[in-house]
Amino acid sequence: MLTKKQKGANLVLATVMIIMSLFFLFPVVWMIANSFKPDAAITADMNSMRAFIPPAPGGNFFENYISIITNTSFLRYMGNTLLYAAILIVLGIVVNGLAGYALAKINFPFRERWLLVIMMLMIVPTETIITINFLFIAKMGLLNTVIGYILPMIVNPFNIFLFRQVFISLPDDVYEAAQLDFCNPVKYFFTMVLPMSKTVVATVSVFTFLGVWNDYLWPSLVFTSSNLLTAQIGLNSITANETTTMGQTLALITMVTIPVIIIYSLFSKQIVEGVVSTGSKEG
Amino acid sequence: MSFIELKNIYKKYPGADKNSVSDVSLNIEEKEFIAFVGPSGCGKSTTLRMIAGFEEITSGELYIDGKKMNEVAPRDRGIAMVFQNYALYPHMTVEKNISYGLKNMKVPADEIKRKVDWAIDILGLEEYRKRKPKNLSGGQRQRVALGRAIVKNQKVFLMDEPLSNLDAKLRVSMRNEISKLHRELGSTTIYVTHDQVEAMTMADRIVIMKDGVVQQVGKPMDLYEHPANKFVAGFIGSPQMNFYDVVLNGSTVTFKNGEKINLPESVLSKLSGRQGELILGIRGEDIKLDSQNIELFKSEKQSAVVENTEVMGNENNLYFTFGGSASVARVSKYEISKVGDEIEFVFNPSRMHFFDKETEECYI
Amino acid sequence: MKKKTSTSILGMAFFGPALVLLTVFLFLPMLLTLVFSFTDYFALNPDLTHFTGLGNYIKIFKDELFLKAFINTVKFVLIIVPLQGLGALGLALLINKVTYCKKYFKVAFFIPVVMSLAVVSTLWMQIYSPEGILNTMLGQIGISPQPFIYGANQALPSIAIMSAWQGMGYQMIIFLGGLQAINPGLYEAAEMDHASGWKKFKDITLPELKPLCVFVFITITIGAFRMIVQPMVMTGGGPSHSTYTIVYDIYETGTVNWEIGLASTMAIVFVIFVVILTIIQTALTRDKEEKNVNKKAKRR
Repeated sequence: MLTKKQKGANLVLATVMIIMSLFFLFPVVWMIANSFKPDAAITADMNSMRAFIPPAPGGNFFENYISIITNTSFLRYMGNTLLYAAILIVLGIVVNGLAGYALAKINFPFRERWLLVIMMLMIVPTETIITINFLFIAKMGLLNTVIGYILPMIVNPFNIFLFRQVFISLPDDVYEAAQLDFCNPVKYFFTMVLPMSKTVVATVSVFTFLGVWNDYLWPSLVFTSSNLLTAQIGLNSITANETTTMGQTLALITMVTIPVIIIYSLFSKQIVEGVVSTGSKEG
Repeated sequence: MSFIELKNIYKKYPGADKNSVSDVSLNIEEKEFIAFVGPSGCGKSTTLRMIAGFEEITSGELYIDGKKMNEVAPRDRGIAMVFQNYALYPHMTVEKNISYGLKNMKVPADEIKRKVDWAIDILGLEEYRKRKPKNLSGGQRQRVALGRAIVKNQKVFLMDEPLSNLDAKLRVSMRNEISKLHRELGSTTIYVTHDQVEAMTMADRIVIMKDGVVQQVGKPMDLYEHPANKFVAGFIGSPQMNFYDVVLNGSTVTFKNGEKINLPESVLSKLSGRQGELILGIRGEDIKLDSQNIELFKSEKQSAVVENTEVMGNENNLYFTFGGSASVARVSKYEISKVGDEIEFVFNPSRMHFFDKETEECYI
Repeated sequence: MKKKTSTSILGMAFFGPALVLLTVFLFLPMLLTLVFSFTDYFALNPDLTHFTGLGNYIKIFKDELFLKAFINTVKFVLIIVPLQGLGALGLALLINKVTYCKKYFKVAFFIPVVMSLAVVSTLWMQIYSPEGILNTMLGQIGISPQPFIYGANQALPSIAIMSAWQGMGYQMIIFLGGLQAINPGLYEAAEMDHASGWKKFKDITLPELKPLCVFVFITITIGAFRMIVQPMVMTGGGPSHSTYTIVYDIYETGTVNWEIGLASTMAIVFVIFVVILTIIQTALTRDKEEKNVNKKAKRR
């Protein structure tokens, strides 16, 4: 129940915050609005509010996008990244999920110690070992290959831990019932454990996607110049080209952002839950 | 050889200083309905889970259908099980839950369909077949769990407190359904419960356990009429049997507070000369208030003041203190008394039980 | 006994794939980083490797570029941590308070989080450009054009502001979760005690959020220590190495110059800092729990 006075104050607060949010988002608004303009218009509009308003849809509306799609391999790079993300989501769920399940439910030697090791590995920043991993991949002759890019990215201590935390609360009697239904442990994992844990599977998938899609350092090392590039690296190599205009650059980064915005709007619940859970563990 | 044989089975968990199950030996015949009953922690569920293969047998031997099962995986023991919390597969429909085992057994599709239809039909689940467990009531979930067990044509059914999560009314009707199913299917059934009423009403034979040790095995009425010890006498029957610490001297029984009754020769002869400190046990319904019985045993007539009553309708329980102990008499609806009323009663001598003071073993 | 061995085998079979990958791509690299940090391993000529003891450790602390990168990183941390942390807290408090358009605000301030560092960096390069939109906007209110990322004094703060803008939505969501977890009864009780809005904030909200604050500020610090993509995309570490960071130095030394030994030493120094921060964080958060336990014990 709000008093009349509180209602008024809240309305003022909301108005102030809307203005704040517009200031906060001005780079994004500017990016989208100007991705539809030729460079001359971008410069000309800079001095007025038109800088934040897209041009009227017309013949040249999508010109920047069309020129990117026709003149560069950017769509291919986006396709590559989607493919890598899909592979890593599947492999990541299988490998990290199986490990998390073992740590949660199967009594094997040194289980508690392995769990401790996994928790300690969560602290180590990947930047520390990226040089050596790069060296490994190079020595294995896997530079510029999809396998070389994917192999070190599959296992993720944080996801193992997350899976373990969720799986540990699965009821044991369902496993026993499944045993009497002639279900072997591997089949049980894929047909029972994963479907029963849809939420965590979705969370891990979404974060894996965002991680792969937005990753910069590792793909920039593994992929030098080829048609295997990811969207982020492709973006960088295209914008580094002198002939790329400002409008095309803005169209490019808008294109890179579209998939994550789609994923975010579809899975905002999982994302927010995932983010909050990182905090609540400590808090 | 019996269909299921337990030979000197022990269970000791690593690190525990006591056996959870001690020296259980039991023969179960084919098609028999056996109930394991006892208070929680008595080892009844552990025994069942050892038969199922979910718990390792520490020592002893288990045979099912003539084959030693100690090292056999649960799925290969020819058993089906109904779990306390149903253990349904939450993401599968009723139909899929029931057919899952058959599919894994590579049963042909048309046969799966026939069997699932049959199970759904006899369990009355037709309108729920496409629902998932979370959209079912407790009783419906219980039926699905039963369905999942019966379609597999296993020779042995294990049930681990299957009705404990249902409300009282549903429990009674499910009791009947399970009994009916057992009669129709004729599978050997081992049923674990902490509720003696379930055991009494459903089982051919009852195994009563306490602290991991079997106290008595027998038909329900045998256990009721001839309990092996004070624990069994107290566990079976409701309200609980009345117990009194007494001293027997000649034919005179003296209660703690000095009240006395005399035993007839027929009872004394069964006690075969035992004298001294004993425990006298008598069930509520064998404390008689009707004029006929009072007339019959008028020399031993006693009296007490009613302290509390439980009106059930068809019969009533009267609570009073006698011989220094809290007592209860179970009387017909025509003998209702009010709190504060003085009642007169007699103990039916032929229904008295006497237990050893130390071992609590039953003499009669 | 048979059952035990079979579950052991099953457990190892499930854990195995992860273990192999962890070993090859985490344990082994960590071990090698430690070993190489005491050598002059040069990837283009591995045969000439010598054990150099603490030589590398002495060397990097005499290396002007590494020291500069180190100081830059610390500067970056000092700017971004209060900016992003307090910004996130402020936004969370406002969103928690406001009743209109709550959902919109949660989305609006979170959007930059899902955008990649490369995208944000590319976008802000345009925004920070000498004739860019920001300088134009500043011109409107009479501020002369600023060099931003093209000036040695402004480059690092400019990147810090951008990074705080990009990241604060994440911590905002964490704070919102914390705010929603506070028992509303506390505020009702305070209301009955005639507490003012400010008092309620000071005596209820802040103490309740304190453990979360420790966590958030330390995660931002660790994240800031790891900064590399922004200068890589925007400035190449310049101008005059003013945006060169520790991780950037590790990256350049190891993967461009192939001086794995030296890069490993830097990585070890870096990881020591991160571990120290993590230990401080656990100590601070655990300390609070223990104090609470002690308080409860005393009450009894």
